[in-house]
Amino acid sequence: MISALETAAAVRSGSVTARQVVERCLADLAREAPPLVAVTRILAERAMADADAVDEAFVRGEDPGPLAGVPYGVKDLFDVAGLPTTAGSGLYADAPPAREDAEAIRRLRAAGAVLVATLNMDEFAYGFATINARHGTTRNPHDLARLAGGSSGGSASAVAAGLLPFSLGSDTNGSIRVPASLCGLYGLKPTHGDLPMGGVFPFAESFDDVGPFAASLTDMICIWEVLSGRSATEDGQALLRVARLSGRFRDNSHPDQIAAMDAIAPDAPLIALPDIARARSAAFLITAREGGSLHRAALARNAMAFDPQVRDRLIAGALLPLGLYDEAQAFRTAFKARVADLFGEFDVLLAPATPCEAPLVDDPRIMIDGALTAARADLGIHTQPISFTGLPSLAVPLRRPAGLPLGLQLIGKPGGEPALFRFAAELEARGVTGVSAPNMVMQGEVQ
Amino acid sequence: MLRHGRRLPCAFFCNDSFRSLCWIGRGKKGNIAAMLRIPKLLRSLDPFLVMLIATVAAASLLPARGMAATWTDWLADFAIALLFFLHGAKLSREAIYQSIGHWKLHGLVFASTYIWFPIAGLAVVAVAGHWVNPLLLAGILFLTLLPSTVQSSIAFTAMAGGNVAAAVTSASLSNLFGIVLTPLLVGLFMKAGGGRALSGWGSVESIVVQLLVPFVGGHLLRPWIGGFIGRNKSILQPVDRASILLVVYSAFSAAVINGIWHRVGVIDLLELLGLSALILAFIMAINVLAARIAGLRREDSIVLLFCGSKKSLVSGVPMAGALFAPAQVGIVVLPLMIFHQLQLFVCAALAGRFRREGEALAMAAAGPVMVPRTEAEIEQAAEAVGMAIPDACVPGVASNMALLERHTKTLRGPGGAPKP
Repeated sequence: MISALETAAAVRSGSVTARQVVERCLADLAREAPPLVAVTRILAERAMADADAVDEAFVRGEDPGPLAGVPYGVKDLFDVAGLPTTAGSGLYADAPPAREDAEAIRRLRAAGAVLVATLNMDEFAYGFATINARHGTTRNPHDLARLAGGSSGGSASAVAAGLLPFSLGSDTNGSIRVPASLCGLYGLKPTHGDLPMGGVFPFAESFDDVGPFAASLTDMICIWEVLSGRSATEDGQALLRVARLSGRFRDNSHPDQIAAMDAIAPDAPLIALPDIARARSAAFLITAREGGSLHRAALARNAMAFDPQVRDRLIAGALLPLGLYDEAQAFRTAFKARVADLFGEFDVLLAPATPCEAPLVDDPRIMIDGALTAARADLGIHTQPISFTGLPSLAVPLRRPAGLPLGLQLIGKPGGEPALFRFAAELEARGVTGVSAPNMVMQGEVQ
Repeated sequence: MLRHGRRLPCAFFCNDSFRSLCWIGRGKKGNIAAMLRIPKLLRSLDPFLVMLIATVAAASLLPARGMAATWTDWLADFAIALLFFLHGAKLSREAIYQSIGHWKLHGLVFASTYIWFPIAGLAVVAVAGHWVNPLLLAGILFLTLLPSTVQSSIAFTAMAGGNVAAAVTSASLSNLFGIVLTPLLVGLFMKAGGGRALSGWGSVESIVVQLLVPFVGGHLLRPWIGGFIGRNKSILQPVDRASILLVVYSAFSAAVINGIWHRVGVIDLLELLGLSALILAFIMAINVLAARIAGLRREDSIVLLFCGSKKSLVSGVPMAGALFAPAQVGIVVLPLMIFHQLQLFVCAALAGRFRREGEALAMAAAGPVMVPRTEAEIEQAAEAVGMAIPDACVPGVASNMALLERHTKTLRGPGGAPKP
């Protein structure tokens, strides 16, 4: 698995051309991506033109950018100039093409990165499983019989399989951190509103964010710097104050996650976020109402054109009384204030990213509070309350070469991404976290 | 969300100055960003008050003198007559007939405006007479004798969830009576020397000529010109504003020439603010008490509080122009200008609080909002948002409604009642 920065360094040194990198990437995608059900569109023509532009800049002696010639993909809800933005739905397959790229794509292009593919997702980003009626269910490269997680499952699966050095997803309630945890990658949900949302198909505006997946921490930091325009070194070197989240977070987690958190910070206090179950339920209600309202007109016109599982959830959300939504928002305001008080004392909070390893595609259920529930709705049990606060959260992969991937969340203060990166680098240096490549003879069978 | 950025429903009633208060802190992000570029103090002021201050500043720097002063005075007199002509033409008799039955409420508003306020004014004069500038005291007493405002009383009542129809009647009646009562009360209680109004009952002539005749004339012509005025509010509204600014300019020109700024300093202005706050607090306390004793409904109590605690700048400035000598008008209206701004701020804050209380009461009366669960409830909720649920979706939607109900119960915690 060659990292984005290694690729960019090779292109910038002239030892390889961007065209060669992109041609190789397109060939790999054509050959190896189909079993993953991760890719929805390969953008070969555009990718080759962009790669040639990078090479021409290099020949002219210009700086081709920190991500020169690095191929990447985006979740199928980013505007790509000349293509309809489908948000994973057949409903918009014939929509008018986007007039320009999403702002995040524009910034990456300016940094030399080359967009090569759009990637699979739950329809309209409503789910944690990437079970898509139109494109199929995205598979986990560590075991093809298992889910990749969602809703940005295609973005995680393609990077975890080594087909792309990085990708972009969106995270409303955990849609980056959940698949990052199940596929063993770094995945960032930024401080709410910190990364550019222009040209991104919305889901629930109270929580929507975009962010990257990467197989290396240094790649993640570079991509974040390009997207945010900030520097990861602005954090300084002050000692980080760490706490471990307890209560429902520890009650619904894998023993290896608890062991890892206790090993990382054995003396860090165990703290319980107040009313965490209420926060998750409030987030659920707000998401349902905002998502349902967004699609209400389309549902009224032709509900049967929606993915059946997403459709019924959206209709229910559209029927949720406004008074209940207001109650949930009022609770959110009070909850955010309490969490902000708590964060006066800590720089990083440790929590599991998912409650378990990747569920089986054939039995997409997980155990929550002692009962089996739908993975599609509940894999985000630990990420949803964090999105509710708007805080940044970096999913980091536990180092477990022999097992299926599992991740932790490093939760920071508003704008505290640099501190999270610094802490993640410490964990990687200690060997607690790190990306493990899947056995390249992919396990499992595609049904 | 839209809910946080939308225009308040009371916009229909708002005059420009009140609307500016409604918008503070409620605009979209772009508006807020634009406002942030304006100094904070200016943003919190009523724009019309800013214009008034600018006019006072203009009169202080460039007062009208000689022939210019004569022409300005004449123009100001004409503007006052025009203003009251338009007020007469705008007054709807139907609105007055509509809620005339609330005699107890109207009586209390009347008592507040023309009994409690003057008592408060006389008390301030008696107590502060030996340490506050006598002309400013005359201004304070004058403001307590004025009628209530119409536009902002109604607007605040609407915003607070009060009885708007009753507020229209109360405020209109107060203004109507004020045309006769205020000059009478001024003649009765104010004995500061000089001036056309205060030289005895000879002021009746100026009241009749400048206020009453134009007002009655405008009202009698209402069947013919009322429609035109109603349709062209945006054209005629500047007449209101321009008339007052002209009177203020004329008054302050004369006052400046007579040395107003040698006689009024910062300490005087602070004293005015303190005394205004005292009077406003006294009147509001009386009205709250009166509403309780009279057993008024919540909606009517709000009317009493807002209509009974206001004093009209729009009526007061031209009345001062008609009642006082030109050299005195500037200093006499100064307390009114300060009181006017204070009442806008206090009433805006109270109206917002009453609205929230009203919503909470309505929610409590209706019980907690519930998730539609039965097939009939789901169908009804779908109809309400313009959707028809296909048969194939009904089981899935019902199952998701059950899930949303479980999350609602979790959000509300034990007991199931809404709580933050």
